[in-house]
Amino acid sequence: MVTRSATPTTVDAVNPQRRLRNLMLSLGAAALGVLVLYLLDGLGSSKLTQALALFAIWGIATVSLNLINGTLGILSLGHHGFMLIGGYTTGLLTLSEASRQNIVNSGRSTMTDGTLALSVTNLFNTLGLTGLTTPETEWVRFVVAVLIGGLVAAVVGLIVGFPSLRLRGDYLAIVTFGFGEVIRLSASTRIFSPITNGALGFAGVNGSFGKSVWWTFGFLALTVFVISKIKYSSYGRAMQAIREDEVAAEAMGVNLAYHKVLGFVISALFAGIAGGLWVSWLAGVRLEYFLFQLTFFFLVAISAGGTGSITGVLLGTALVVFVRQYGDPLEETYSLQTWLYLAAAVMALASVGAFALRHFRRIRPRFHLSVLVPAVLAVVGVIVASLDPAFLDGTFRGFGMRAIFLSVLLIVIMVFRPEGIVGRTEFSWGRLFGDDRSQPTEEERRQDAWLSNPALNPGAAGPLTSATGTDPSTPSREGSA
Amino acid sequence: MASLGSTRRSRRWLPYVVVGGLLLLIVLRMFYLMSLEGRFNGAFFLRALIDSVKLGSLYALIALGYTMVYGIIRLINFAHGEVFMVGAFVTYFLFTVTPYGWVSALFLAMVLAFGVNRLVALFRASPRDPLTWAATAVSFVALFFLLQAGTWPFWAALIGSMLATGVLGVAIERITYQPLRTAPRNSLLITAIAVSALLQNLGLLTLTNRQTPFRPPTALLDPIQLPIDGLVVQTNGLFFAIPLLTVVLVLVLHNFVRRTRLGRAMRAAAQDAETAQMMGVSVNKVISTTFFIGSVLAAAGGALWGLNFGSLNQPAVLGILPGIKAFAAAVIGGIGSLPGAVIGAVIIGFSESFLTALFPRTGDFQGITEYKDTFAFILLIVVLLIKPSGIVGEDLSEKV
Repeated sequence: MVTRSATPTTVDAVNPQRRLRNLMLSLGAAALGVLVLYLLDGLGSSKLTQALALFAIWGIATVSLNLINGTLGILSLGHHGFMLIGGYTTGLLTLSEASRQNIVNSGRSTMTDGTLALSVTNLFNTLGLTGLTTPETEWVRFVVAVLIGGLVAAVVGLIVGFPSLRLRGDYLAIVTFGFGEVIRLSASTRIFSPITNGALGFAGVNGSFGKSVWWTFGFLALTVFVISKIKYSSYGRAMQAIREDEVAAEAMGVNLAYHKVLGFVISALFAGIAGGLWVSWLAGVRLEYFLFQLTFFFLVAISAGGTGSITGVLLGTALVVFVRQYGDPLEETYSLQTWLYLAAAVMALASVGAFALRHFRRIRPRFHLSVLVPAVLAVVGVIVASLDPAFLDGTFRGFGMRAIFLSVLLIVIMVFRPEGIVGRTEFSWGRLFGDDRSQPTEEERRQDAWLSNPALNPGAAGPLTSATGTDPSTPSREGSA
Repeated sequence: MASLGSTRRSRRWLPYVVVGGLLLLIVLRMFYLMSLEGRFNGAFFLRALIDSVKLGSLYALIALGYTMVYGIIRLINFAHGEVFMVGAFVTYFLFTVTPYGWVSALFLAMVLAFGVNRLVALFRASPRDPLTWAATAVSFVALFFLLQAGTWPFWAALIGSMLATGVLGVAIERITYQPLRTAPRNSLLITAIAVSALLQNLGLLTLTNRQTPFRPPTALLDPIQLPIDGLVVQTNGLFFAIPLLTVVLVLVLHNFVRRTRLGRAMRAAAQDAETAQMMGVSVNKVISTTFFIGSVLAAAGGALWGLNFGSLNQPAVLGILPGIKAFAAAVIGGIGSLPGAVIGAVIIGFSESFLTALFPRTGDFQGITEYKDTFAFILLIVVLLIKPSGIVGEDLSEKV
């Protein structure tokens, strides 16, 4: 097992002044965030609050997926399957009596009386908690349903995880993808349609919770809290060891299967919660809401922001949600001339970007074909578009432009900056204020003293110590301490 | 782990028992259905067999691309299903649009001539060979006029689509995978997923967003009646054409990999790319060639797929299911191995068509047919969990 060290080794933790400052700053930022949410919520449901709620919901999903993809280093492609389970569970458990009656009356449903009776209201009635079945306490029932959805997803995650996590690398990616698709494809089959209502799904899920910034951001805060706690615990360090080198981690005593399954189950739990909020945001449950595209969006968010960093993942999620919610102008109908100008602009951007990259990374020649060809195309495009010839008279609708934009973004990031925008670094006040890290901390001083003391550490008298001791160009840290 | 070898040896009989038992179950179920009244006679199951041969051949054409790419750069090429989709649509446009305007004819002729260039370069020592360039130039001029001349017959559209799609495969590799040669494998896989999403949405944007009828005027579609043992089975020329073309292409590929210089380089790079590079093999060229061949085969699969089913689904979904099933076939056979891909494809095609034939919607076990598309996944997962190296594959588990 990885041992838990006595004190954390960050600068902020050992400097009481900085620790207080950081605490105050965190509290202030949280209060500011709450104030902003309060003001926005006061304006009523708008496009912005919906986008914020979606950001929070997808944030839960991406942060939980990042626990597998970033911290554990396993590419999991089945997140939409776990979200589907959480979504269907929440949808079924919170469906109103009227909607249930509609399902019965439609006559096309395959649901039975037994499955139609599955609801949190009935659960509370059975338990004798009739006080919680009133309209005023609907939030209790919703939260309970979302948590049950998360638990069901976690159980499925356990069932899926146990056999498949014995595999490694891309075989594992394929199996998770396969399980995700099996979950999605079998939801509409005869076996499961009494619970899922087949291809029809459920209409009329209460949308007031999923669209409320309070509930969604509350769950997001819970997710970030739990996942970051795990990340910085001994479990998280074991998971990161697995990410870096499985064989070495196993040799150091990390139980591979245990930590993998643990990460998988926790991730599935939060995916289920995200699924419950997602169906509430959509105010309905249908199979089309849980396509592989969902996992693709999450992958874009994680890879763009920074694989392994919660800060980066939330940043990437904000980017993806922004494109999804405010990218409609890309998908409208414009004249072909406008599109040609746009294409020329993209080409010009590509040319400038390629030039800048070659310049700063000192790749020669700077005027490579990858710079010249887009430049020439851009110039030709602008000239042709400004001449306005007859064949540019029509119009064209940019159907699916947002997805194209996101996939191009993902390819560009993968090719030029595979670690994402922020890499693996997390946000911290110390980093923001540029706290001095040139001096070793108390903890590091103690470690260094131990390492350099031959009485305590007999191995230190090896060639490494003598080499550093005789080299005047590298002043050793022990000397300054 | 020393005991593992002996355990494996003592269980040699297990696969035979499993496969034999499954076949026995299938035969029993067939006899049971035939004993019932109705349409379940011998001709019904012969049709299922014919379907399974055709499907298996189609999956084999796609699976070869997956297995070749995996064998050389250890990448599960998620975009391969979309390459297949592009192949089907290029065929469609080559035999329907007529005649091409000079702009599109120029563009298409350029792409096709580049494809001819790659094709000739497969068998020449140097790509800068004068013969290669002569062939490229001549084919460019000829194709430019042919595209403007009029409708292409199906076989010409098929060949044209194979060349154009091969060029697409090379372009994808050059632009997106080549810069990631030294990147972690997860990055490569994510890039492949992104390319796949990009091609799906580009297809939706530029081609069509609805079902496309695929009915070229070819004699292959004329109905044929096969009198087999007193039963008459309705089929068409595709029953012969699809397996025949597949067998020819597989044999050409097999001989290419075994006999030519580039094929030998390919095998060397698959075994150990680094050492092969040191021995003078241009690994980049080998990888390009691999993508070219894989995409050419996928395009042939796409064209025949359209011919077989009479229509093409919309571009965003056409490539997904065939791609995934072919990938499952490649893994079941043993990814990285060429015969393995064909064997796996035959298994997938057989199981898919017999699943629908043995458990028809009207009979008992109605629910099983709904798992027709899921079945490939389930088989894939089961094979991965029991024997990740597949039926004939070598052990590809990661090394230290």
